[in-house]
Amino acid sequence: MKFINLLKKELSELVNLQMFIGLVATVAIFMVLGGVMKTTVDEAVDQSENVTINICDRDKTEFTENIMAAIEELNSDPDSDVKTKIKVVECEGEDYSAILDKNDISSLVIIPEGFTASYDKMEQPELISVSRMTSAATMSNMDIGKEAAIEVIEACISSTIAEDTGMNSEQYKLMQKPVILTENTVVDDKEARIAPGNIMSNIMMQNMMLPIIVFVLIMLTSQMLMTSISNEKIDKTLETLLSAPVSRLSVISAKMLAAAVVALINAAVYMFAFSVFVSGATEEVTETVANAAGVSLTVDQALEQLGLNLVLGDYLLIGLQLFFTIMICLSVSIILGALIDDAKNVQNMLMPIMMCAMVPYIISMFADINELPMIFRVFVYAIPFTHTFTAVPNLMFGNDLLFWGGLVYQIIVFFVCIFFSLRLFMSDKLLTVSLNMGQKSKYKKKNRKNKNQDDEE
Amino acid sequence: MEKVLEVKGLTKQYSKVLAADNVSFDIGEGEIFALIGPNGAGKTTTIRMISTLLTPTSGDALVMGNSIISAPEKVRENITYLPDEAGAYKNMKGIKYLQFMAGLFSSDLEEIKKCVERAKEICQLGDRLNDKIGSYSRGMIRKLLLARAVMTKPKLAILDEPTSGLDVINAIEIRKTIKRLAKEEGMSFLLSSHNMLEIEFVSDRVGIITKGHLMVTGEADELKQRYNAANLEEVFERVVKQNEVH
Repeated sequence: MKFINLLKKELSELVNLQMFIGLVATVAIFMVLGGVMKTTVDEAVDQSENVTINICDRDKTEFTENIMAAIEELNSDPDSDVKTKIKVVECEGEDYSAILDKNDISSLVIIPEGFTASYDKMEQPELISVSRMTSAATMSNMDIGKEAAIEVIEACISSTIAEDTGMNSEQYKLMQKPVILTENTVVDDKEARIAPGNIMSNIMMQNMMLPIIVFVLIMLTSQMLMTSISNEKIDKTLETLLSAPVSRLSVISAKMLAAAVVALINAAVYMFAFSVFVSGATEEVTETVANAAGVSLTVDQALEQLGLNLVLGDYLLIGLQLFFTIMICLSVSIILGALIDDAKNVQNMLMPIMMCAMVPYIISMFADINELPMIFRVFVYAIPFTHTFTAVPNLMFGNDLLFWGGLVYQIIVFFVCIFFSLRLFMSDKLLTVSLNMGQKSKYKKKNRKNKNQDDEE
Repeated sequence: MEKVLEVKGLTKQYSKVLAADNVSFDIGEGEIFALIGPNGAGKTTTIRMISTLLTPTSGDALVMGNSIISAPEKVRENITYLPDEAGAYKNMKGIKYLQFMAGLFSSDLEEIKKCVERAKEICQLGDRLNDKIGSYSRGMIRKLLLARAVMTKPKLAILDEPTSGLDVINAIEIRKTIKRLAKEEGMSFLLSSHNMLEIEFVSDRVGIITKGHLMVTGEADELKQRYNAANLEEVFERVVKQNEVH
């Protein structure tokens, strides 16, 4: 009953209007971002299906007219999903900006005068490409039409050379694509007929979520517990609480449990918001990639064949590792929170935890930790949070030793941290120790002020 | 008179500082005992040891016969502690704070209700109890905390600088409340203060502590006579000077 009373108080301190507004704002921001990404991706997909080629022929020879005719033929392929719109532009001079403005286009391919002459002399003819950049955004600068036009022109030249050298159409086809690549991916003793690139993009999308949730959880739980303990210490409500007939263990357990519960609520909301964002950003692309790859095996089927899919037991193990990660954060936060005697120092004291979360988070995003030089590997693996970030790939790729080793290491770190933090919380040091971080203690400032007032009196 | 508190040679040594040195005194039922001394004299350390917040280096104290070392849980059932310049949970309403604190002393809902009613009567904050504590003045917070400290009818209420930082009116009200509770309800109080005039008005007996030593204890009038002083301030000055000589 007394523990419930303490827990209710801790939860009421943490769950407030500010937290609710923060969560609603987070969901709203991610939903808006997801919407924006979806619109941009839709536009890009639409652009790839409705190609506009803007071309200007300044050479006007039989050869270039053939090229123009070949480009026009792109429209007449009945099997193609791509609708191509050809716009032939007449232009002169080198004021490309004015040419783009005049014709209300953003890109143009120009076949310059002397193009055929260069080809006849067996020199590489020059082709001019003009593109207007309107922003630094990747999507807004995509121009499939221009690339399609250049491809057609290059193919025309190649086929003409092939014809001139007496090559038949079969030989030309073979020259264009000399091999058919059948890609296979092998994981341990399992294999699937799929390109590793397709597997990787899917795994990356799956793995993107967990590190973000882990990072949010680490930061939130630490900050909440540290703020709670330091505020109680500064306001001296902790002394009142500890002199009441409740055990110190109940006081700290209620604080830890409340921080963990609130952090999990936050993580769940972040996970939901982020999944909305990711699905908006990737849904259309995934479908397009699968079609373009032309594979009969879906990526999910391939993952299952390769044993890379996670089963219920794996999720339980990930949950267990996440639990110990939170417990390590909470036990370290007790020590750091007890050292604070000024609310402004909470952010400073959060730094060590933040760095321990940032280093493995960033490294695991860009590199395989197992491929790092030994000294860096030892350093990164010594950070207990690293094992949480690498849990999913380790389970996927059957690195059992690394996974279980990491879990056991986290459990040991947790017991060491909780031992020292409980020892601190049960001792006199909880009320007497402080780390001033180069500032005068609030207590000392207060005492000095009182002393000065007394002296004046 | 039954002894509510017996302090026997309490000593607290921090790494280099001897904060309390062999402090001994006792408090009877319904008695108000005040520890007076300058800042850093060892008042708060002594009080924190009796409140079971700090472990003594040596010595012991018994609250209703329960040792602060071997039975701290029993001690905490019989005391309440109001720290110097203590705050309360700013985002909590006054009434919720009282309910929460009462819930730490009892699991019986009826008992909790009675405690809160009693606190409401003592603090006289009326409807303001339904407001968040963050909106309270310093005086209001102190009244709320005093009411919290006495609502459970503890055998011993330990109040560190109970009127520190308060205006005259609020300070007088709090002193009157303490006197009334001791007289009418037989509650014992251990106060600490460096305001000698306040102590002279409110306490039955005083103990003068300086540099960790409890120099002398006795009734205010008795000490004034013994040191041939007009008031407690003069007694204090002479005791401190005597200590410096020795």
